[in-house]
Amino acid sequence: MGDPHPKPTAGNPQAKLRATTLTRIFGRPPRTVDALGPVDLTVTPGEFVCLVGPSGCGKSTLLRIAAGLLRPSTGTLEIHTSSRRPATMIFQDYGIYDWKTVRANVRFGLDIQRVPRREANARADDWLARMGLSDFADAYPATLSGGMRQRVAIARALAVEPELLLMDEPFAALDAQLRTILQDELLDLTQSLRTTTLFITHSLEEAIVLGDRVLVMSARPGRVIAEHRPPFPRPRTGDIRATPEFTALRTELWDLLRKEAAPA
Amino acid sequence: MTTLTKPPADSVLVRRPGPRELHPARTHRRRRALEVSLALAVPLFLLLLWQLAAAQSWIDDRVYPAPSTILADGWDRAAAGDLWPDVWATLKRVVAGYAAGTAAGYALGLLMGSLSLVRAALEPLLDALYVVPKLALLPVFLNMFGLGEGPQVALVAATVFFFVWISTMSAVMSVPSGHRDAGQVFGASRWQMFRHVLLPASLPAVLVGARIAAGVAVLVIVASEQIAATNGLGHLIFDSRALFQNDVMFVGIVCVAVLGVLFSELIRFAGRLLTPWAPRDRGRGQS
Repeated sequence: MGDPHPKPTAGNPQAKLRATTLTRIFGRPPRTVDALGPVDLTVTPGEFVCLVGPSGCGKSTLLRIAAGLLRPSTGTLEIHTSSRRPATMIFQDYGIYDWKTVRANVRFGLDIQRVPRREANARADDWLARMGLSDFADAYPATLSGGMRQRVAIARALAVEPELLLMDEPFAALDAQLRTILQDELLDLTQSLRTTTLFITHSLEEAIVLGDRVLVMSARPGRVIAEHRPPFPRPRTGDIRATPEFTALRTELWDLLRKEAAPA
Repeated sequence: MTTLTKPPADSVLVRRPGPRELHPARTHRRRRALEVSLALAVPLFLLLLWQLAAAQSWIDDRVYPAPSTILADGWDRAAAGDLWPDVWATLKRVVAGYAAGTAAGYALGLLMGSLSLVRAALEPLLDALYVVPKLALLPVFLNMFGLGEGPQVALVAATVFFFVWISTMSAVMSVPSGHRDAGQVFGASRWQMFRHVLLPASLPAVLVGARIAAGVAVLVIVASEQIAATNGLGHLIFDSRALFQNDVMFVGIVCVAVLGVLFSELIRFAGRLLTPWAPRDRGRGQS
């Protein structure tokens, strides 16, 4: 298998993000739920890591800890950055605001950072053009289709040029065709940006197409039980879906996942 | 929710467990204790301030009697049995009016929510009546029902009716069409549709309206008793002020407040029993 990136080793100073025996427990004793871990994970700068796992395995919990929305119960998660807020997150239900126009939504992160209005508008318009949304800049999100709304969410997250991009099943609410189209768009985009990304999905295809690494998580409490590096050199395109290696890897991952997803 | 930063030289952002994660039981216990003591301490502090102000003659204690005086007076009246006839009179009117108003409001709201023709016929009329201050209708009710309990009960019923009617109608209209469609495809009759879909789907919103109406019912009855009744808490409050018995007036006010709280908590409790599937209101009583 061709390794596009060197394997990260323990204590790698190159790590962008490192989780050490990270766990999360919800509720108070005696009624507690072990949601996550322990998870050890290292992500190198510019790496695109996909997490797949059965529902409720704590994938989202891990992402929310990385985003700073939730604290771990034990362990630590380190992000190597000089910024206070290095991460942006894209949610499954878009998380964009109905009361802001498309342009204002994309500008939101810049407004929060108090970027001057003129510059913020220019950067927002640039992103709208990249996502093919220029004609809808002044429209309200309610008038857009699901795919366009998710493009707005992606533009909003990337407009602030984050060091870390967190995506929580971003395409789960889209139909299959649209999903493939947006996967290809995101592939193009991330290969030119090289933003360090943690991407959660239920779709094995999605994980293999997009990821430098695919991590398979166990049923709750989620631990990383397998790690695969899709053998497709970058820059790659969506055409790899038709290759036998793709099918073989998907079958292998599915065999792993089925054991976890099916109740024992 | 906060992130801890090390000095910028290290430039590592660390997400680590906070006190809530390290000592969940202790943090929760402390939080609860703080919430409960705040809920008690704030009213208690204001009462003490009032007591102090009266004792120090910062305020005229003939006009604003000290809380201790009000309490002692209320206790004496309750023990002597002077208070109960007024409480009982008010309670009877509120409950009778509330029951009638809720039943009528619910029935009409349901009808108007599900049948657009009935809605078209009645909505402008009811909207117009809704904005008429209900107390302005008291003379009309006095003419209709004469003196006695009739006008008081009718006034409470009219007030409650509008709250329940509006919340029921909008709740029924906003039942998701998918819920109706599923019922229709299974061939549900009108009654079955009501029993299995519209009633439970609209109930949480209806109960919010009913709870607001409970508070307003007490408010209205006290106002109307001041104008046109010879007993009841509203009459007690107004009458004792006229006789310059300000301590009795405050006893009446406290009774009204307690009655209002008990009544609307009762409706809230009933609502919780009736809608076990609905998310509870956040805030008080939340663990």
